[in-house]
Amino acid sequence: MFALIDGNSFYCSCERAFDPTLRGKPLAVLSNNDGCAIARTQEAKDLGLKMGEPWHLASKRQELKPVIWMSSNYALYGDMSRRMYELLCEEAPRVEPYSIDEMFLDYAGLPGDLLALSARIRERVRTVAKIPTCVGIGPTKTIAKLANKVAKGVRGGDGLCDFARKEEREEAYKTIPLGEVWGLGRASVAKLARRGVESVADFTALRADEVRELLTVTGVRTQAELKGTVCYPFSVSPLTRKSLAVTRSFGKPVLAWPDMEQAIAAYATRAAEKLRRRGLVATAMQVFLRTNEFNSDPKYANQSTFEIEPTADSFALMGDAVRAGRRLWRDGFRYAKAGVVLLDLKPAAELPQELFASRDPERSARLMIALDTVNARYGRQTLKPAVTGLGQSWSMRRQRLSPRYTTHFDEVLLARA
Amino acid sequence: MFRFMADYKGDETTGFQSPAQDYIEGVVDLAAILDLRRPGRYPVRVKGQALAARGIRDGDILVADAAAEPRPGVVCVAMVGGDVILATLTRTGASWVLAPSSGPIITVAEDVEVWAIVQALVRTAV
Repeated sequence: MFALIDGNSFYCSCERAFDPTLRGKPLAVLSNNDGCAIARTQEAKDLGLKMGEPWHLASKRQELKPVIWMSSNYALYGDMSRRMYELLCEEAPRVEPYSIDEMFLDYAGLPGDLLALSARIRERVRTVAKIPTCVGIGPTKTIAKLANKVAKGVRGGDGLCDFARKEEREEAYKTIPLGEVWGLGRASVAKLARRGVESVADFTALRADEVRELLTVTGVRTQAELKGTVCYPFSVSPLTRKSLAVTRSFGKPVLAWPDMEQAIAAYATRAAEKLRRRGLVATAMQVFLRTNEFNSDPKYANQSTFEIEPTADSFALMGDAVRAGRRLWRDGFRYAKAGVVLLDLKPAAELPQELFASRDPERSARLMIALDTVNARYGRQTLKPAVTGLGQSWSMRRQRLSPRYTTHFDEVLLARA
Repeated sequence: MFRFMADYKGDETTGFQSPAQDYIEGVVDLAAILDLRRPGRYPVRVKGQALAARGIRDGDILVADAAAEPRPGVVCVAMVGGDVILATLTRTGASWVLAPSSGPIITVAEDVEVWAIVQALVRTAV
């Protein structure tokens, strides 16, 4: 048996955990550069704030005046997610952190009442990790996820939904719209709707070959999971990726090449750090830059994709990225965004020894270890290539950032004696 | 500080073999002693001198544990209305009450949360 536990408005709940003045108030957390709403409390939803609404428009809407807007504080959210995970590990034999705010629990072999256990876990996560949650229970991940959605949909409910028993869930399937099912995208749901397939029960009633014809094998798996056959087993291997991107919109438009050079160098450096943490090397790269798509600025966008000597060396990747960026750069535009994407990633261990490598691999590895060790010990960006800049005028806009309560000594919660 | 040998710990010498080689231990790890990685442990900084009589001074860092069992007499971090305060937790009959260092007793109810219980204290300026 599986359970899915999911934080309610996770980012907002993290903010509320440390700031009691935010409790009971409409609150929204904004995306990078304070762009649009990416998390909303129930109170904000009730006022009519939609997911993804741009802040500069929403903040002018009269009915949204009471909403409190905050920049995203990922240092805090990451640590709160860690707390949630570690707490869950004390309660369940296996925990899979599926995303920052939702985790699968493996209840296999646990004796007793799983609903009561879930209620207890939910209460502990609230008091210890300070996050209100909902829990769904089911024999497959897809069912647990669906149960979780049902639990979340009940206002003032107990935050729990148990789909362990076949009869109960099949009864519920009759009234649950297909759009609620994990793994069925909007296009699939529309395709099925044209065939008159609208509820989960309609979908599970289809023959497997019909499903295969309409939705390929992924749809067949989703259907089997909904019927109680496990197709997606418990997984504890982090996302393996074929590419790794660091792309950001600038806090303010970039007009001069030196600023762009800084940004691209900084993105390449950050991408290289992530690459090394995963023990990978990149064998190709994409660099892009573009102006704002949405305003009246003159438009320019360009990208370049090319192979590189396999490496995880910050300086090598930075050099490649900056050279590519220089070729793409045109004077006279107001650039809004740039990015560095590392492609065709391979495990560093599988790398064949280059006979005529342009960098001494031993020295490069030692230098990178030194760089990463210093930055791990003294904080990110303590040691960085000088070209990534000291001023960073292009860096992210985060005007409404809360303190990093749990990860920064100078920003911890204050309590009045 | 530049170190020619990045990770010399008293073990790997260049001339005479170190007799301490098999006995090397790391530096005392305060994060481990204070159990800061436990999911319920939060650092909290004290503002104000009102608890000085209990040895808790302005600027001290408290290690508060949200997973600890409440007991009468402990100091806790509480959220009262919109405020984050330190108070002594006590019991009257069946209900828990908070005794702040100044002001009236507060009964733990709807908008009062015992957020975490103070377990340890760190003072960086002595």
